[in-house]
Amino acid sequence: MSGSVRHFKLVLLGDTAVGKSCLVVRFVRDEFFEFQEPTIGAAFLTQSVQLDSSVVKFEIWDTAGQERYRSLAPMYYRGASAAIVVFDLSNKESYNGAKSWVKELMRRGDPNVVIALAGNKADLPASQRKVETEEAQAYAEENNILYLETSAKNASNVKNLFVEIAKKLPQQAMQQEREQGFTISPPKQEKKSCC
Amino acid sequence: MTHPPPLLHTTTPDVETSNGTTSNPEAVAKIREAWISNQLRRRQAEFTEYKNANVFTGTWNVNAKKMDPSASLASWLFPPSTPSPPDIIAVGFQEIVDLNAVNVAVDSKASQRSVFWQETILRTLTSNNRHYTLVQEVHLVGMLLCVYVQNKHLPHVSNVSCNTVGVGVMGVMGNKGGVSTLRKHDQLNIERGNSSVFQGFSESVLLFPPTYKYQPNTDLYECRPDKKLRAPAWCDRVLWHEADEGTVECQVYERAELNISDHKPVMATFTCRIKNINTEKRSDVYSEVMRSLDKRENQSLPKVDLDKVTIDFKSLYYDNKSTASITLTNTGTSNAHWRLVPKLEDEALCKEWVQVSPTFGLLVKGESCEINFSVQIDNETAMKLSNNEENLDDILILRLENGRDHYLTVSGKYARSCFGMNVRDLVLISEPVRDVPLDPKGRIDFEASHPPASLSVPKELWRIVDAICDKGLHEKDLFLTPGFAAEVKQIRECLDTNSDFGLFHIHSMAEVLVSFLASLSEPIVPSTLFPTLEIDQGNIMPWSRRFLEELPPIHYNCFVYIISFFREILLFSNSNNLSPAKLARVCTSCLIRNDDATRGGKGDRSRNMSLIFLHFLTTNSI
Repeated sequence: MSGSVRHFKLVLLGDTAVGKSCLVVRFVRDEFFEFQEPTIGAAFLTQSVQLDSSVVKFEIWDTAGQERYRSLAPMYYRGASAAIVVFDLSNKESYNGAKSWVKELMRRGDPNVVIALAGNKADLPASQRKVETEEAQAYAEENNILYLETSAKNASNVKNLFVEIAKKLPQQAMQQEREQGFTISPPKQEKKSCC
Repeated sequence: MTHPPPLLHTTTPDVETSNGTTSNPEAVAKIREAWISNQLRRRQAEFTEYKNANVFTGTWNVNAKKMDPSASLASWLFPPSTPSPPDIIAVGFQEIVDLNAVNVAVDSKASQRSVFWQETILRTLTSNNRHYTLVQEVHLVGMLLCVYVQNKHLPHVSNVSCNTVGVGVMGVMGNKGGVSTLRKHDQLNIERGNSSVFQGFSESVLLFPPTYKYQPNTDLYECRPDKKLRAPAWCDRVLWHEADEGTVECQVYERAELNISDHKPVMATFTCRIKNINTEKRSDVYSEVMRSLDKRENQSLPKVDLDKVTIDFKSLYYDNKSTASITLTNTGTSNAHWRLVPKLEDEALCKEWVQVSPTFGLLVKGESCEINFSVQIDNETAMKLSNNEENLDDILILRLENGRDHYLTVSGKYARSCFGMNVRDLVLISEPVRDVPLDPKGRIDFEASHPPASLSVPKELWRIVDAICDKGLHEKDLFLTPGFAAEVKQIRECLDTNSDFGLFHIHSMAEVLVSFLASLSEPIVPSTLFPTLEIDQGNIMPWSRRFLEELPPIHYNCFVYIISFFREILLFSNSNNLSPAKLARVCTSCLIRNDDATRGGKGDRSRNMSLIFLHFLTTNSI
C-alpha cells in the first residue's frame, strides 16, 4: 500500500458559480458553504486518494470561472494529468460552457489528459434540472470522457469523482524512478597492501 | 556485532537549490511514507482483532521403527480432552531413520521414511473425518516436521516460513536433535531454572510418566539385563516461546500410549491469540492518516490576504497620473514569497499604462506590505484608446511560491480627449469629444442620434487659434515661452468638454496648440510626403506645389489654416519678436512626427520639410 504514492496535477475548469471550489472544499475538507466566495485567481490544495494498491496524490488547481479570467486558464491546465470540467445541472448555459472547456482541453491540453465531466448541484429538485443525464452521458461517451453527477452540498459522488479519475490515471506516474528498485552493486574493493 | 545506522536510499541525487540547501523530492516522499506507516502502526489497535486459534503440537522419537500401515495415530493426534479440532497441527518426529554414518550423509532413506510418516498422519486425519492440508514439511536426516492447517483456513494461509537448526556436525548434518542429549529426568527444568538453556521458553507442568526408555512394542520400561540400565526420563517435551506475553495458553500436555518405539509420543495443545487485520478498517485508518497529513500540508501552504483584488480608477484623463495600492498581509503560518508573474506567453507583468511597485517580496508571518499601482495615460496609450486598440483593463497575477495565485484587476475608464485622435475623426464631431463613446457599439448608438458633422477643420483647432488671435498676436516670444501646466490641463479639459476656457495665459494656449498638433495620431504632414531630393531654390516651387496637392483633404485644410494663422502672426513680428525661421521650427516640432523625421534615409528629410514650411511662411503661395 505504501511506497507507491503517485502525484498528479489536476485542474478544475468550468463557468462561474457552477461549484468548482465547493467540490474541492468538499473533497479536501469535507465542508460546504452555501455562499462560497468566487475564486479570483487559482487556489491550490493537495489531497490523496487511496486505491486498492496505491495512493494517488492530487495537486489540485481550482481556477477562476468568471469569463474575464478565461484566457488565464491555460496556465493551469497546461501540464495537468487530469481535469474536472464542472457545470451546473440547473444551468444549460454552463453545460454549453463545459462542452467548450472540454473542446479546448482536447485541443490545447496534454494529449493524455484524463477528463471528467461533472454535473454538479445534483441535490436540486428535478424540476430545476435543465440538463438530462442521458444527454450529458451520451456527450461524455462520444468524447470518451468520464461523466458523474455530483453534489458538493450533500457530498454525493464527490469522492467517487476523484477516485474514478485516479483509477484512469497511468499506473506508472511521471515520477517513475520512485517506483523502481535500486541495484545493489558490490562495493569496490580497494586493494590494500599488507604491510 | 552492531549494524551501521541505515541510509535512506534514493535513486535520484540531491539537488542543490538556489538558496544553498539541498533538496530531494524522492527522499521527502519516502520519509512521508515512513511517517504514514508509523502512524498506522500506532493506531493498529483500531484495525486489529484478536482471535483464538487451537494448535496441536506433537513430538515423537520413533527410534527408526515403522508402524503397521493400517495402525492409527489417533490416540496421539486426537487427545480425548481436546475440545475442538485444532486449527493447526504441528508434528515433529525424531530418529525416523537410524543415526548411522550413511543415513547422516545420504538422505534417500530418510526421505522414504518422511513420506511414510506423512502418509500415516494424513490417513489418520482423513479416516477421522478431519480435513487438513500440509502447508510445510521439512526433514533433516532423522527429524521430520510437518505442519497442517484446517482446510477452511487455507485462504488465509500465506508466507509460510520455517526455521530449522541442525545441531550436528558443522551445523550441516543432522543428528538426534537437541532434546535427546539431556539425560536426567529433571535436568531440563534445572537448566531452564538456571536460565542456561531455552531462555524465553515456557513449558507446562509434567503430569505424565517419563516417556523413555521403553521396551519397544510394550508398555514396560527397559529393564532387561542385557540392556544398559537407565532411569526412566522425560526425554520428549514440548516448549513454547511467545512473542507477546499472555498470548499462548497450554490446554493439554500429555503423552499417548503408542508402543512401537522406545519413546512414547508427547502432545500439547494450545490456545493462541492470533492477530487478525481487518483490511477494511485498516484502509479507513490509512485514509484518515493520509487526510490528516494532507490537511497539515494544506494548512502549511503560504497564505496571504489582500484588502482588495480590484482597483478601479474610474475616470482616467489624458496625461494624468492616478495611484492606488493593495495591502498584502501574510495570514498563513509560513513565510510567504510573492511575486508578480507574466501571463502565459507574455513577457511583461502588465500593460504599458500600468506601473506597479514592488513586484516581489517576502512577508514573514503577520507582516504586511503595500503594492502600489499608478496609471498614466500617455500620448501613445491615448492614441490606442481613441482608436479602440486598447482598453483600460488588465489582470496581474500574484503568485505565492508553493501556493496559490491571486488575480489583481486594474481598470479605469478613459475620459476621451481630442489629444491623441486624428483630424479626420475630429472633423466629424461637433459635440464635445468627451461624449463620444470609445467602444464600437456605443459609438454606433451615439452616431445614430448624433449625425456626423463635416467641419473643415477640427473645432478644437479652430477654438485654440481663435483664442490666440483674440488676444495674443502681439505677445512677445509667442510659441517660444512655455505655458503653465495647470492651465494647459484646464484648457485641454475645456476643449474636450466644449466649455469656456475661462482665464488663461496666452503662452499656455500656444503650448496647447503645439502639443495638440503633436499629439495627433496621424500628423498633419504624413511622412510619405517628405521630399526625397535635396531642396534648393531651383526645385522648391515644384516640391511645395506637389506637397500641397498630395496632402489629404482634411490635412490640407488644417495645414493651410495653420500656415495662414502663422502668417498673420508674422504681421506682428515687431511686438511678438517672431520670424519665419522661428515659426518654421515650431511647424517642424508639431506638424511632422519627429520619429518619422529621424528615419531620415538619404539626408535629413525633416530639414527639407522645414525649408518647405519656411517657403510657405515667407511667400504668398497659399
